[in-house]
Amino acid sequence: MSDDNKSKTPDALLAALRRIVGVATEPRVTRDDVNQAMIRHWCDAMEDNNPVYTDPAFAAESVHGGIVAPPAMLDTWSMPGLAPRPRQESSSGEEAGMVPVLNQLDAAGFTSVVAAGMSHEYHRYLKPGDRLTISQVITSVSDEKQTALGVGHFFTTESNFADQQGNSVGRMEFSILKFKPGTGTVNMDASALEGLEKMPRPRPAISRDTKFFWDGVDQGELRIQKCNSCDGLHHPPVVRCPGCGSYELGYLVSQGRGTVYSFVEVHHPQFPMFDYPLVGVLVELEEGTRIISNLVGVKPEDVETGMPVELAIEATDPGLSLPLFRRARPARRESTLLFADLEPGQELPPCPVAISRTLIVAGAMASRDFQDVHHDPDLAKKRGSPDTFMNIMTTSGLTNRYVTDWAGPEVIFRKLSLRLGVPNFPGDTLTYTGQVQSTALRDGKGVVELLVTGTNKLGDHVTATVELELPTP
Amino acid sequence: MSMSFAGQTAVVGIGATEFSKNSGRSILRLAVECCEAAIADAGLLPEQIDGMVGFTVEENHEIDVARSLGIKELTHFSRIHHSGGAACGTLHQAAMAVHTGACKYALVYRAFNERSETRFGAGVQGLDNAPTPIMVDFGWCLPFGLLTPASWVAMFATRYMHQYGATSEDFGRISVADRRHAATNPAAFFYQQAITLEDHQASRWIVKPLHLLDCCQESDGGQALLVTTLERARDLPNEPVVIASAAQGSADDQQMMKSYYRDDITGIPEMGLCARQLWNDTGLGPDDMQAAIIYDHFTPLVLPQLEEFGFCAVGEAKDFIKDGNLELGGRLPMNTNGGQLGEAYIHGMNGVAEAVRLVRGTSVNQVPDVSNVLVTGGTAVPTSAAILSRAG
Repeated sequence: MSDDNKSKTPDALLAALRRIVGVATEPRVTRDDVNQAMIRHWCDAMEDNNPVYTDPAFAAESVHGGIVAPPAMLDTWSMPGLAPRPRQESSSGEEAGMVPVLNQLDAAGFTSVVAAGMSHEYHRYLKPGDRLTISQVITSVSDEKQTALGVGHFFTTESNFADQQGNSVGRMEFSILKFKPGTGTVNMDASALEGLEKMPRPRPAISRDTKFFWDGVDQGELRIQKCNSCDGLHHPPVVRCPGCGSYELGYLVSQGRGTVYSFVEVHHPQFPMFDYPLVGVLVELEEGTRIISNLVGVKPEDVETGMPVELAIEATDPGLSLPLFRRARPARRESTLLFADLEPGQELPPCPVAISRTLIVAGAMASRDFQDVHHDPDLAKKRGSPDTFMNIMTTSGLTNRYVTDWAGPEVIFRKLSLRLGVPNFPGDTLTYTGQVQSTALRDGKGVVELLVTGTNKLGDHVTATVELELPTP
Repeated sequence: MSMSFAGQTAVVGIGATEFSKNSGRSILRLAVECCEAAIADAGLLPEQIDGMVGFTVEENHEIDVARSLGIKELTHFSRIHHSGGAACGTLHQAAMAVHTGACKYALVYRAFNERSETRFGAGVQGLDNAPTPIMVDFGWCLPFGLLTPASWVAMFATRYMHQYGATSEDFGRISVADRRHAATNPAAFFYQQAITLEDHQASRWIVKPLHLLDCCQESDGGQALLVTTLERARDLPNEPVVIASAAQGSADDQQMMKSYYRDDITGIPEMGLCARQLWNDTGLGPDDMQAAIIYDHFTPLVLPQLEEFGFCAVGEAKDFIKDGNLELGGRLPMNTNGGQLGEAYIHGMNGVAEAVRLVRGTSVNQVPDVSNVLVTGGTAVPTSAAILSRAG
């Protein structure tokens, strides 16, 4: 960065930025072929188990005739990785594309970056061995705006992806906010992150007889006392099996699946160590006992008796882990829905995603996004965020997963367009919901449009529209 | 198995302080005042009292109460555990004590400033979490924000609603009936303050599905009773109110407020156990009860109590209530004093006193021709129940 840039007036900066608008970069060949290893990293990070991405036998029999990459990976193939971003030039040799815009805004003090939205159009699915070429153009730069995060400029890019034959395989519009850290209208210091810096919850009193349970929780396990002689289960623990009289009591590790047997919503009195509304729940575990817990990531009005839930051992503060429960992830559909199965208004089942630190970092790495705000909490704070947060490509990948898990492995994505709202910070639960917006037969293809929303405890994280193609018999 | 003391003992005196939200005096003073009143009502003198029965959760020591009252020598003193579950357990204990000769006149009492000092509804908080049995037990619910009796009871209520289709209005009708009865009882905190079902529905959530008006009051006050043998009772000024039977019950996999692990959690098996004992001991049945005092700390648990005693079939209490059976003039007028929602929450002891008045014929909401009144103790804990009857 140069002093020259720093002293630029806002008008001069904007003029310089806008000179880049509309100037397309020369097509650049991506560093790597589309490849199985990166696909596998992506699927691992997103917990996307669609076999068309990784199971050659299944993929061969599928509509794709072989392994394909998850469509949401489109722009991952063109990410520069940790290497310095290459200079991008137009055919006439001037600097073009996103890099000069980022550099100029950095130099002017707009050093923080967040993605605001992106839109993918898929012309065909990518297969291992494809080698892409990308060309990029800045399509707009906004005036200086006061946003909740800070004073900044939005800019949008359009990228076109072609394959080794020069055929277009996809297109992307990407919208970014570059802002000055510390100039926002919302308090983004650490105390804004509920649950981390608050009064601690009451500690369980732990006796010799119950220590195994709480030790298990600390180790990420839900242990249920089991009689070593007769296999009877006892919760809360006993000291002698009332069934057979044995004092030889061990435990089993619960699979963590169950249903809501009963629940309450605590309103009054309220205590500073809990977040309200607070749902107390009695979970009936598949193993056959019940346990008192909290349901997290579910709005109280959406809780129902009989609802499937799954274990989520979480640190409610740095010194206490508790066995909490969240809505169970719906089972992945193994045979793809038919176009005729769907009609507008139909709801997709809600699906929770635990926002762990691992997911945030693994998702960033799998999408070759090495922005420090996605993996380094200290640097994230320096840049005005209370913690690391999920990158947009992980959100794309999770949205991709949510829709294919619901629609089935051979659904074809035509478009995936998403707008980001509040960030996904570690420890939260992102809950997807969705609805069929429209269905139409176009050129004999069954085209379905969905509206998908992902919500966390801060609000709406993502609002996405998805255009799918489903088999018509 | 018939209890040897069934029908052999009687309540001969009752006494209470006023019921308030701020008594302005110590709990010892409240205990002594109500005990003095009960002794006087029985036509006895303090020096005749030789037995005292209380609650383990009672903070007053019986010896302090005895000292201020001028009680000289005690040959029996004992306490019953499990908070309001002890309500009729104290009668049971006193009856056994006088019947066996452990003492002649047993004074039973409960007194607290449960609104102005130690609020039960404020939630368990700030306790040392040393692994005493009660704190280990609390360890299964406190970390999850379930810190109040309302939160523990609400868990049963949601399941009951799910299983039998009961609604918040069904719970509300209990509250409305209690408050209607309280409205004509000058001793009730909510004297002249009846409510409607709309008021109930509009009252704020405490722990959903419990509205504020599903929850009993927090009260200051004291209530005492005097128990002796029927034989001695016949020599005292009041018409004896016979303890036809009294029983305690703790059932399989019983836990404190959180018996959530049984196959079914919509019934109250420990109350069913009390019911079986009472019916067996007395040869009486639901049709022989002219009125009932049903423990009502939280309205939802009134429903399964009616079912456990056979006033209606399992799951049908909501219809029994909707049909007006619990109202004055109904099949089973309930909580004619206003109950713990309307009169005061004295851990069920004020309800036992009202059962005594119903048998004596002195309730402000007197039910005609009372021979037998059922009274129950606190639910969701090991509990108790009794039948009080006119002397034959």
